[in-house]
Amino acid sequence: MIDITVKIGGEAGFGIMTTGLLLGKIATRSGYHAFEYSEYPSLIRGGHNVIEVRISDEKVYSQQKQVDILLCLNLETFNKHASEVKEGGIIVYDTEKIPESKLNKPDVNLTYVHVPFVSILQEHKLSTVMLNNIALGALMHLLGADLNILNAAIVENFARKNQEIIDKNILAAKLGYEKTQKEMPQGYKLKLPKLKNIIPRLYISGNEMIGLASIAAGCRFYAAYPMTPTSALLHYLASQAQNCGMVVKHAEDEISVINMALGASFAGVRSMIGTSGGGFALMVESVSLAGITETPIVIVMGQRPGPATGMPTWTEQGDLLFVLHAGHGEFPKILLAPGDVEEAYKLTITAFNLAEIYQTPVFIIGDKYLQESHQSVEKSIIEGYKFKIDRGKLLSQEELSKLTEYKRYLITKDGISPRAIPGMKGSLHQANSYAHGEDGHTSEEADVRIKQVEKRNKKAQTFLMNDFQMPVLYGNRQTPLTLISWGSVKAPILQAMSKFKDKFNYLHFSYLWPLDKIKIKSLLSTFKKTLLVENNSGAQLGQLLTMVTGLEFEKKLLKYSGRPIYPEEILDKISFST
Amino acid sequence: MISDLITMNNNNSIPPTPASPKPVAPVSEHTAGFSGYFPTWCPGCGNFGIWQALKMTFNKMKFDPDRLSIVFGIGCSGNMNDFLWANSFHALHGRAIPNAIGIKIANHDLPVVVIVGDGDCYGEGGNHFLHAARGNHDITVIVHDNRVYGLTTGQVAPTASQGFKSKSTPQGIIEVPVNPIALAVSQGATFVAQGFSGDMNQLVELIEKGVAHKGFSLVNIFQPCVTFNQINSYNWYRDRIYKLTSENHNPRDLNSAWQKSQEVTEKIPLGVVYDVDRPTYTDSLPQLSGKPLLDSALNIDLAQFINDFV
Repeated sequence: MIDITVKIGGEAGFGIMTTGLLLGKIATRSGYHAFEYSEYPSLIRGGHNVIEVRISDEKVYSQQKQVDILLCLNLETFNKHASEVKEGGIIVYDTEKIPESKLNKPDVNLTYVHVPFVSILQEHKLSTVMLNNIALGALMHLLGADLNILNAAIVENFARKNQEIIDKNILAAKLGYEKTQKEMPQGYKLKLPKLKNIIPRLYISGNEMIGLASIAAGCRFYAAYPMTPTSALLHYLASQAQNCGMVVKHAEDEISVINMALGASFAGVRSMIGTSGGGFALMVESVSLAGITETPIVIVMGQRPGPATGMPTWTEQGDLLFVLHAGHGEFPKILLAPGDVEEAYKLTITAFNLAEIYQTPVFIIGDKYLQESHQSVEKSIIEGYKFKIDRGKLLSQEELSKLTEYKRYLITKDGISPRAIPGMKGSLHQANSYAHGEDGHTSEEADVRIKQVEKRNKKAQTFLMNDFQMPVLYGNRQTPLTLISWGSVKAPILQAMSKFKDKFNYLHFSYLWPLDKIKIKSLLSTFKKTLLVENNSGAQLGQLLTMVTGLEFEKKLLKYSGRPIYPEEILDKISFST
Repeated sequence: MISDLITMNNNNSIPPTPASPKPVAPVSEHTAGFSGYFPTWCPGCGNFGIWQALKMTFNKMKFDPDRLSIVFGIGCSGNMNDFLWANSFHALHGRAIPNAIGIKIANHDLPVVVIVGDGDCYGEGGNHFLHAARGNHDITVIVHDNRVYGLTTGQVAPTASQGFKSKSTPQGIIEVPVNPIALAVSQGATFVAQGFSGDMNQLVELIEKGVAHKGFSLVNIFQPCVTFNQINSYNWYRDRIYKLTSENHNPRDLNSAWQKSQEVTEKIPLGVVYDVDRPTYTDSLPQLSGKPLLDSALNIDLAQFINDFV
């Protein structure tokens, strides 16, 4: 089995992220599986950026601790990360820029490769921004990959630039490749042999996948205010807006974001918004507005470590209970949390249907780890996913014309009222933020109030009957230990499981609210031993499950350093606790 | 009719009493089609004049209530949601403008009118107001400017005169008032008008021009609060207002508009202060050049989007 991690580090502003992205893309195109994880501070220039790409001929789910090839574009990368490189690994650095005297070389057998990035740039009059292509060229040689695939990626990446820029970047890659070839010791075994059967895969981030799914689902309005880790969703959709006929609005603040989307949705357009915890806090009053006006909306809530500004470019699952309780008053809302890009695609499409079927807010809860990490996924899974756009009880003009009287908040058995949109003949109604009767008029009468509260609550019951999905159990049902988690923690857990298949199984929650209390309780009661794994300090899924079932979770693995959980940490915890 | 209502005296110790709303027959052929329940406003409230003027304007413009979208804010003015019947969205306090922008983007064939108060629009929603003006979103914002908060029983509004004493400012308000006309003109609004609820004929004319205008339009309407503002009464305004005419003002001239916007104390202009052309937000989106967003097909060939990631 081939399983290689390449880590690239340097100052922000030198195209390190692009280097990692292209490397993952090239590996994917060559038939390998890839997973990317990056760490960077909330800065534009300076600071320390690292990106790592894990490449394997088997499915990879997450990053790992040990590094095979470390490419240092500055001294800090060397001294911070050299100890992560495993025995027999390679460190590439610029001897002319990084003085030997300052290096902290680890006590293991490593191969050091000297590539003079800076003098190559100077010698060939290349600009500093091309440094990353020298690095990529070097990596192409170390991995044994085909330089032509890199050249094709460079041509694509610079499609809008002139030929001279493309040529110079291709030259930079070639120079990096050749220099590394010369530097490598005799008998060096290339890391990535050519694969015979290349399965077409996408190399895509969570943000891009949610965007792609929203296009597929017929979303025609997306509004956002930039905020990590969801900004890239705004960027992706803004870049595709004209191609797919979507209007993408960068509004003046998050309050405007959600209210524009509610206006567009009220007027009949499938609408989505994206933000992170702080921005979502500003939207909360309007989540409640969506609840009482029964306006569909899909909300992408990308978590990052808080409170307040917190650690903007890092990851955490600290907002589950915040989202669950967001919005004053009582109304149903639906919470979904994808665990990987495949789930992000399917759940986003589902979210649009659920929002219109139940006429209430639907959340896609992500985090920096899922949304900003690229990973490979079979193209056929995405292309082959069959779905129907279900607009629920949205009336057509024909259906509306047949009604003798139209009542927007009609009391129905399932709690869902027929929905007309402004402009239709006979659609006259108001969507009212005040308590209201069936016709939408404000009413403070007790009996009217009770009926409308019960009508809205009923939607949650209908959801549990028709659309709720139980958590999925991964692995062997007979193992003595069950790990329980949600969202992106799926990645390191499945990675850990791929090595130790019989040690534990994993119960993955992606439908987080409303929960079927009886079914969940009886399922949880069948497990002999459980370990709750979450990327937060409060065991928020645990609290939620305790609230719903009364069951307590004794053993926990909680991480709240702003970093994702590593598969190694899970295995350590398991061997300690068994 | 309005003058009759005005002469009904008011006692400042009585807060507005919410009466049980009852549906009423259309008042006259001028207001047919848009009538909802009879208002719960205080007798003599300036809102009555705006309410009548809106219904008259919509009938004059031959709007169909099914094909007119109104977004109401929260406040005494927003309570018009039950008295003026059209396809409407009753928003949160301060947030009516973004809702209206969303409706317009979704269906730019629909006329979209926003009915809000001064606290709602210039206080809680001030940020939205100036950005809507910048974007030249094709919506008409009708602001009820009475310099107080009525529904919360008489605190100062952002438009209150400096020194105005209220429940929340017993020593008098320290801040100078917001200048809605100057704010709108300076932030890119393409139609800015000022009216008075005591002059319904002019109001109808201003609202009609505002709604017909392609782009962001503001109609700021002085609307005396007979219960909580004893200073800025009908007579206070009548002593100060004058009409803008082609002789005394050119609404296409920014300098002249700016000058008129500064007349806020001794002489107060009524009429169209500013009226220029600039492409609207929706007209600037190639995606919307064919048909409204609402009518675009939902199914799309994903192949081109998927292939970007291969």
